[in-house]
Amino acid sequence: MRDKLLIVEDLWKFIDGKPILRGVAFEINEGETKVILGPSGAGKSTLLRCINLLVMPDKGKIIFDGEDILGKHDIHSVRSKIGFVFQHFNLFSHMTALENVMFGLIKVKKMSKNEAEKKAKGALAAVGITEELWDKYPAQLSGGQQQRVAIARALAMEPKLILFDEPTSALDPELIWEVLNVMERLAKARMTMIVVTHEIGFAMRVADEVMFLDNGVILEKGAPEQVILNPRNERVKRFMDRMKYVYSIGKGNVY
Amino acid sequence: MWQSFASYIPIISSAVPNTLILTFLSFAIATALGISMAFAEVFATKAVSIVVDWIARVLRGIPLIISIFIVFYGLPKVGVVLPSLYAAILGIAIVDAGYQEQIFRGAIKAVSTKQLEAAYSLGLARAEAFLYIVLPQAFRIALPSWINDFTVVLKDTSIAYAIGVVEVFTQAVHVAQVIMDYVWPLIFVSVIYLAICYPLSLLSNYLHSKLKSMGMLGSGM
Repeated sequence: MRDKLLIVEDLWKFIDGKPILRGVAFEINEGETKVILGPSGAGKSTLLRCINLLVMPDKGKIIFDGEDILGKHDIHSVRSKIGFVFQHFNLFSHMTALENVMFGLIKVKKMSKNEAEKKAKGALAAVGITEELWDKYPAQLSGGQQQRVAIARALAMEPKLILFDEPTSALDPELIWEVLNVMERLAKARMTMIVVTHEIGFAMRVADEVMFLDNGVILEKGAPEQVILNPRNERVKRFMDRMKYVYSIGKGNVY
Repeated sequence: MWQSFASYIPIISSAVPNTLILTFLSFAIATALGISMAFAEVFATKAVSIVVDWIARVLRGIPLIISIFIVFYGLPKVGVVLPSLYAAILGIAIVDAGYQEQIFRGAIKAVSTKQLEAAYSLGLARAEAFLYIVLPQAFRIALPSWINDFTVVLKDTSIAYAIGVVEVFTQAVHVAQVIMDYVWPLIFVSVIYLAICYPLSLLSNYLHSKLKSMGMLGSGM
């Protein structure tokens, strides 16, 4: 049972009386990469935000690292063990790249400045942010660089799980690659990750399991080859046909 | 005309310290009141927030001269007699507090909730996120407007003339009456105001463009 890092059971969330999540349930093992696909408004972001308690679910159970986190009082320590990478990066705009990564280490992990700096530099190097960018402010960096700094910020905290909320949706097409590349390396290094994305190519290469969420319900889950290439559900099939049209080159299916 | 005026320059200049005392004290009081009101508005319960917002609106709506007259002529009726200098400071501060509340409330609210979410997801508590993320950013966002407001208050202190406070404008008028020429004294006193305001407005513009380049103004991140 120990290798089940996260167990989500019958999760419900209502916003303004409208059901956003309707009984979502899944599990993730340590070292696994799970990709969540689905249309906008399906509840994908809300699901991720429930897992790190930025949004409080109305019903259900979330067991993270052996603990029922919905009954816990200290949500801050739970959050410090779960990294979150946002669609719009959300770097602290008054801090440099390096300070952004050091911040959580100093304030949450209570590291000394020297220790934090060493650790932060290591994390930045791991995502390919080189020394000349360390003292730049977020606005001076490209979107791809900002997102990689954001990943380093999450990574430096040594989380047990990282949640990615459409990490490449706000990026120029040419910059998507550098972020996906970093994420792919993390997955290969067996970091446990849940990734909400529209990048089906990434899902094909990296995901251990793909889940399709629509209208707050998981319509289908399984291996990427199955869910993306041969979905059983009609709704999922329609979605994937359109995704394949968008991402294919030339005539016919690339897959 | 200049010759007869020139010898009075030291008299006008000697009132510069009074003008600065008026400005600094009323501005500082207004800042303290303005920040307190802004905090109350953003963080207190909805009812308190509405009341504070309403108070700030009323303060902004009072013509400055009425505020000063109320303090100088009105308060003695309830037993509070203030020297004209203090009455002017208080009168100016009360109205300016309403404006500064607007500056600081806007700045606090301008810090995007995305910044807070990022802080929370690192594991920071609400108070820490506020202290390390919202406050430093709000302070920077408020800075250009806050400096501009200082220059407004500086010029507003000339209204203290109406209750006989000896500041630069009052002195200029007195000199004008003596030499029977308003042109040079008023030009001279304008130059004094300008000499203080102009560098500050340059500083404000510089900070504004710096903040813009940091992505902290406008839509933000």
